[in-house]
Amino acid sequence: MEKLGFEVIVERGAGASSGFSDEDYEAAGATLVEPASDGTYREAGGAEAWQADVLIKVNPPTLDEVDRIAPGATLVSLIYPAQAEALMAKLAEKDVTVFALDKVPRITRAQSMDVLSSMGNLAGYRAVLEAAKEYEGFFAPQVTAAGSLPPARVLVIGAGVAGLAAIAAARGLGAEVRAFDTRLATREQVESLGGTFLEIQFEESGEGGGGYAKTMSKEFIEAEMALFREQAKEVSIIITTALIPGRKAPLLVPTDVVDNLKPGSIVVDLAASQGGNCELCEADKIVEHNGVKILGYTDLVSRMAHSASQLFSANVVHFLKEVRGGEAWDIDLDNEVLRGACVVHDGAPLPPPERKPPPPAKKPAPAAVVEEKRPVKKPEEASAGRAWASAIGSLVLVAALFAAGTFAPSEFLQHLTVFVLACFVGWQVVWSVAPALHTPLMSVTNAISGIIIVGGMLQVGSGSLERGELDLASILGAVAIFVAAINISGGFLVTQRMLRMFRRKES
Amino acid sequence: MSPEQLVIVYLLAGVLFIRSLGGLSRQETASRGNTYGLIGMALAMLATAFHPRVSTFVVIGSCLAAGGVIGAVVARRVGMTQMPELVAILHSFVGLAAVLVGLSSYLEPGAEITGVEALIHHVEIWVGVAVGAITFTGSVIAWAKLRGSISGRPLLLPGRHLLNLGIVAAIVGLAVPFTMHAGEPVAFYYLLGMTGLAAILGVHLVMAIGGADMPVVVSLLNSYSGWAAAAAGFMLANDLLILTGALVGSSGAILSIIMCRAMNRSILNVVFGGFGTADTKGPAKPAKDQGEVQEVAADGVADWLKAAKSVVIVPGYGMAVARAQNAVHDLTKQLRDAGVEVRFAIHPVAGRLPGHMNVLLAEAGVPYDIVHEMDEVNDDFDATDVVLVIGANDIVNPGALDDESSPIYGMPVLEAWKADKVVVFKRGMSAGYAGVANPLFFNDNTHMLFGDAKKSMTALVSAC
Repeated sequence: MEKLGFEVIVERGAGASSGFSDEDYEAAGATLVEPASDGTYREAGGAEAWQADVLIKVNPPTLDEVDRIAPGATLVSLIYPAQAEALMAKLAEKDVTVFALDKVPRITRAQSMDVLSSMGNLAGYRAVLEAAKEYEGFFAPQVTAAGSLPPARVLVIGAGVAGLAAIAAARGLGAEVRAFDTRLATREQVESLGGTFLEIQFEESGEGGGGYAKTMSKEFIEAEMALFREQAKEVSIIITTALIPGRKAPLLVPTDVVDNLKPGSIVVDLAASQGGNCELCEADKIVEHNGVKILGYTDLVSRMAHSASQLFSANVVHFLKEVRGGEAWDIDLDNEVLRGACVVHDGAPLPPPERKPPPPAKKPAPAAVVEEKRPVKKPEEASAGRAWASAIGSLVLVAALFAAGTFAPSEFLQHLTVFVLACFVGWQVVWSVAPALHTPLMSVTNAISGIIIVGGMLQVGSGSLERGELDLASILGAVAIFVAAINISGGFLVTQRMLRMFRRKES
Repeated sequence: MSPEQLVIVYLLAGVLFIRSLGGLSRQETASRGNTYGLIGMALAMLATAFHPRVSTFVVIGSCLAAGGVIGAVVARRVGMTQMPELVAILHSFVGLAAVLVGLSSYLEPGAEITGVEALIHHVEIWVGVAVGAITFTGSVIAWAKLRGSISGRPLLLPGRHLLNLGIVAAIVGLAVPFTMHAGEPVAFYYLLGMTGLAAILGVHLVMAIGGADMPVVVSLLNSYSGWAAAAAGFMLANDLLILTGALVGSSGAILSIIMCRAMNRSILNVVFGGFGTADTKGPAKPAKDQGEVQEVAADGVADWLKAAKSVVIVPGYGMAVARAQNAVHDLTKQLRDAGVEVRFAIHPVAGRLPGHMNVLLAEAGVPYDIVHEMDEVNDDFDATDVVLVIGANDIVNPGALDDESSPIYGMPVLEAWKADKVVVFKRGMSAGYAGVANPLFFNDNTHMLFGDAKKSMTALVSAC
């Protein structure tokens, strides 16, 4: 942070629980200040600290703390504005600018500042460890002289950042992992971590805005519950991670699902702070139900204080870079990231930014554009003209065919029938050829158009060659056989050679 | 074998040919499709050998063996980069055979025919020989152009449209005296004269078409060769020939249509257009503040690739020319082993033959399920970290979408510029076959890696 041009003040003892000593901070160039006299964590921060221009906090400030912020200062912290109306009102009264780290938009560029992702990652990882601690069996499969044990089966519900971290951690311990998410797009991510993606046969994707899932329809939820009940008979650990921002957590594991679990099974509920995904879950407690332990820790991140602290500070540093550091401090509200995170600006509350309109619908087909440019014909007229032309064309064709039907011998008409039908068959069949196979298609059609060899054979035979005379017709026929034979053998063989090269697997 | 039994065998062969084309719809069944075709062909030839008119096995057998051996040797030796030439020359053989069969059929009709039947027979011969001759010489020219024996640039004679029109008129006009004097010796000279005219037409038509339009021309000639075979079927009253010819003819026609759509041009425009050279002298536009291109070395690209999550490779004709496909495969394998998602994006007209790039990549060993068509990849460029454009130009030209003055405006292109970084492998700053400057090269996120594509790729493989 010093490098970004800030002068840094750190509260004495701030890093103690994360394993960073005050000396570490001093060595890094920070000035230490005494915490407030009562010394409690909540009330922490001496008067001096509260006078800083930029305040960085982890948890939302209390109402008292807000009073102590210097006018004109900027507060960077988790705020949860949707759930903290009183706090927001209070903040808005003061002449301050507030960035809610939890409101950093979830776009690619802002990933490095996404505190929620960092925290989700930690919580997911820790959830597995907590489950492992309570679980009284192996995670990894065991092959011993006394016999073999299968791996523990873990079901992860919700494949967001936390869910994916949980999948990776559980896989790392050797468990067999299944995962479920309403967003089908997560399938690939789940599989990439070695998990099995569970699916229900239902046409609905839960892709909501900002990378979160949306609430699903009633039918969908019923199908989902049926799946969970089935799964509960097989798995011994369930980890739920489904959190919809600013709302009560959805109920994913009702009591009857827990009833299906074997005694000794573990449920870890990451949404405990928001009411829990599991019906039986109680925040910060372990509930036992028929031998199943339901873990409702809300402090999983704090249990990883050291890593959490590192990730959080890295997020904040990235965020401060976005505000262009200490010397070129500039709050640019046109910046998508800053605008999204900024909830109070110079004392005025800012409404959440408008959702970016979805990218404009696809450009009209280029062909249509070209047609519009023609000054003389409007598109409708042009297409009407084309329709007329094709109608007249078909009429002429039908008339010609009819004339042929009247005058031509029946044998010719038979051939004509074959010809026309074959054209249509060819037309239908060839459209379905994969573009990747167009070259083999050409060489194979090349080979089969060598069928003209039949013509050559008939011509050779038709002459008087057998009587020992060499007439021109037979010679021409023989040459035709020769070239057509090159075509046939060359065409088929080269096609075969090409097709053998098309492989699905890497050689 | 009686003619009736022959019909049944021909029917069987026809069904096998249809299944053969149907089998090519997917990679998994393609090989079986080829086998069907082979069986159908064997059946047809065997059955014809028992036709009452055929009695000279020695001549037929020796011609067949000689041709077959030559074909087999060629098929074994030909390099995959030379596939366009091979396909073109094979077309010419079909055309030649159609001409020969037509002439022979005129000399020896097989059965006595009179009246309307004779008239129809003669018109059939006339059409068959004309189409055959155009296919023959056109394919020979296409072959020479693809080999590089003749310059790929279009030859544009003054008044070429009138010339074409005149030849067509002469071919149609000569049919009248030919049918009137049919049977007399003079008619054969009419026929030969017309063959010559059609041959000139074939040469002239293909000479006027530029190198980049070759995929369309080759498909079109493919179609012609089918129609020539169908016409031969009419004159010999042979349903199998008609059926097969029609199959091949429509197949070639569809390929031509696909290629034309991929270039947003009509077939007439391709055949008669003389694209990109008719009205432009030098580059289409003077470089208007296009800025400087940024160069990059192989090491730099290697760093990007190693840091990337998803890479798309856009190959073009330049990859075929440099024979870089094996190096490209090595790179792909290395990146995939390192966990990078690598995909290929194939523009329909990349290369000189429909599906040419797919064959080259397959030859190098790239698994076909990571080789995608334009539409499958175009929406994903936003989320792509690095795009490698290897010897392609016009198919990644953003001007086709937004520059109305561009000659290729409206042509669907691969939107490579939307990716985070674009690396263009190119020999120099010359324009593509369309002769159009490419604004992509001057973009901020585009870097050029100049040099032979194969050498650059090999350097990249060792740097990665």
